[in-house]
Amino acid sequence: MNPYLLIVLLTSLGLGTALTLSSTHWLLAWLGLEVGTLAILPLMAQRHHPRATEAATKYFIVQATAAATLLFAAFNNAWLQGHSDIQHMSHPLFTSMITLALLLKLGLAPMHTWMPQVIQGVSLNTGLIVSTWQKIAPFILLLQIKQIHPPLLTIIGLASILIGGWGGLNQTQLRKILAYSSIAHLGWILLILQHSTALATYALLIYIFMTSATFITLKKCKATTINMLTTTWTKAPTITLVAPLMLLSLGGLPPLSGFAPKWFILQELTQLNFIPHASIAAMAALLSLSYYLRLSYSITLSLSPNNLPECLQWRVNYPISTPLSSALPAALALTLFLLPLTPSALTLII
Amino acid sequence: MLKILIPTLLLIPTSWLAKAKWLWPTTLLHSFIMTLFSLAWLKNTSETNWSTLNPYIATDPLSSPLLTLTCWLLPLMILASQDHLAQDPLVRQRIYITLLVTLQLSLIMAFAATELTMFYVMFETTLIPTLILITRWGNQMERLNAGTYFLFYTLATSLPLLITLLALQNKTGTLSLLIIQLLGPIPISPSVNIIWWTTSLLAFLVKMPLYGVHLWLPKAHVEAPIAGSMSLAAVLLKLGGYGMMRMMLILSPLAKELCYPFIILALWGVLMTSSICLRQTDLKSLIAYSSVSHMVLVAAAILIQTPWGLTGALILMIAHGLTSSALFCLPNTNYERTHSRTMILTRGSQMILPLMATWWLITCLANLALPPLPNLMGELIIISALLGWSTWTIIFTGAGALITRTYSLYMYLMTQRGPVPNHMISMNPSTSREHLLLTLHLLPLLLLVFKPTTIWGSAY
Repeated sequence: MNPYLLIVLLTSLGLGTALTLSSTHWLLAWLGLEVGTLAILPLMAQRHHPRATEAATKYFIVQATAAATLLFAAFNNAWLQGHSDIQHMSHPLFTSMITLALLLKLGLAPMHTWMPQVIQGVSLNTGLIVSTWQKIAPFILLLQIKQIHPPLLTIIGLASILIGGWGGLNQTQLRKILAYSSIAHLGWILLILQHSTALATYALLIYIFMTSATFITLKKCKATTINMLTTTWTKAPTITLVAPLMLLSLGGLPPLSGFAPKWFILQELTQLNFIPHASIAAMAALLSLSYYLRLSYSITLSLSPNNLPECLQWRVNYPISTPLSSALPAALALTLFLLPLTPSALTLII
Repeated sequence: MLKILIPTLLLIPTSWLAKAKWLWPTTLLHSFIMTLFSLAWLKNTSETNWSTLNPYIATDPLSSPLLTLTCWLLPLMILASQDHLAQDPLVRQRIYITLLVTLQLSLIMAFAATELTMFYVMFETTLIPTLILITRWGNQMERLNAGTYFLFYTLATSLPLLITLLALQNKTGTLSLLIIQLLGPIPISPSVNIIWWTTSLLAFLVKMPLYGVHLWLPKAHVEAPIAGSMSLAAVLLKLGGYGMMRMMLILSPLAKELCYPFIILALWGVLMTSSICLRQTDLKSLIAYSSVSHMVLVAAAILIQTPWGLTGALILMIAHGLTSSALFCLPNTNYERTHSRTMILTRGSQMILPLMATWWLITCLANLALPPLPNLMGELIIISALLGWSTWTIIFTGAGALITRTYSLYMYLMTQRGPVPNHMISMNPSTSREHLLLTLHLLPLLLLVFKPTTIWGSAY
């Protein structure tokens, strides 16, 4: 893409999220969300492939619907309440409507069906942006709404974890797998959102690190299906070494960073006596772990049947070092080694 | 404790920086030195039972034999893996040793942890290196299935354990073992009693394994490379027993009738798994099922919660650790020569490898609990404890002991005696490395005859 255009789009993306994060009025928050949506659409559609166009269209329709619902509910609430402050909403119906709109934007169950299709249709870099950056703005808005009906968030959270686990089981396309993994992780974040905003932020942060590391790794291996992962050992042996650890961190195994959010979320839930919720969430995490394990089997732990030419692929201008791939060591370090540093990490957020 | 933990951690840079020629001798030597230091843990003169005490790490007579066993096993694993890794590229050899050292570190911290949370995190940490060992360095296609079974059987029960530990922390305010042992019974409503008890212990029962949930063990033991099999059999199963003994302190007043189904499963499992040993064709599978049959006996002993039961459990865990590890090393020597684990194909090796036959004999005799070895001590104490608990258990334990002797003898006779197959006539003679390996397994077992107080824990 034309570098000037890229700069404009990425800046708009950042601007949109920053606008939402710094707003107290619903109109400005909506504005930020819309700017973000519009900025990412050319990035999604730049490939001129029917699937990319379809993904961009679906993304636009979904996000526009959500934003319109958001605006409608916000204005209704303002009409009834007299002010349009994000943090002091009181009408239960419109609060729920706004929450559902934001959850549609995030792609949580049962409003998740667009996520796998959209992330599958776009390139890996754009999928990274959709999975990580675009989640920040709606999440911050959710944090600020006070009077959400508790069972709503709990049921949607648990449903997301279950659907994220089950949906990913039958996939071979890596971007779809990462979409379902996204849904599952956001479900965990949603579970704890109403009880502890600090833990939700921490969980989101760790999720962003882990997902970034995974997307950048897949971009470096140029792999979009499970079969294409099997030649990673020929291209990047070091990545082959570390990839299982990264995937098991996504699955939430100690001593990797991914365990920390799960541990603290379960701790908070048990302290508040939500033990059935904690148990269901914990067991549903095993579903996600099974497809992460499958991926780590194909990357490192087994050697697929292949022939010699496949192992010696044409590598033109290799190693390709994009700006994003220089972030890989940092993302990987944060994905793997953050668990012992959790107390200090938590004090930064609380 | 740091004088063991830091050198173990630094074995990782050692394995990456050592020159190719010196990789195995260096790591072997340094792990032996650390083992020597770890023997100091066996001496416990504190009145409160906890020695080497600091807020996070401590040893007591229950954990120190297991810790010493863990430290003893690292050099033995390195010694055993030398041959089959010689054909791997150097980087993979270094990765292998790094995995073994990581496993060792997490095991030491698990056994020495004073906080149950640290124990849990380290318990789960041992899963990753073992999974990688089994699925990457195993030899057959079934290893992937084995890794999946291993990981999911353990995780499906340990996630409820995590929730139980967190709920326990909520109720008592602490998870430190130093404090919990003094707390007394925990007020729990009777309706959640059963769930509480089950979720606390199920993770350890699966790890031990208990008979109904033992399916992961034959898969994992058979498909793992020799170091994986050794560490699985010798130490990882004992994590389950150790965890159970620690958790029972907290749960004890609740558990009288709740443990009946598990004890019955355990006793039936002794009979079942011993019997299936007699029908195995794969040698490693036989030893894996033999492991199961010994460990379900340990599980039954811990579940009845009498002092003799706990003592016998600990003695049998240590003795079984050494014996089972030796038993896995022995068919591995055959496997490295013939690349087959089938018993009919590796018969009559006494004619060809006579010195190895000595080790086969001693190890099989240890497995069948010949007096005066600690295997018998443990089994006898457990059988007596179970007999005191209920007279009818003697049927199961007696029959189980009989079948254990039968299959141990069967294993010895099948592999050592009998006609020599034609394909086995020209095999490499036993190396001194293999003799050293087996000596180091069996010598502690023989020495423990003279001083069993080191391994009988604090309950006696």
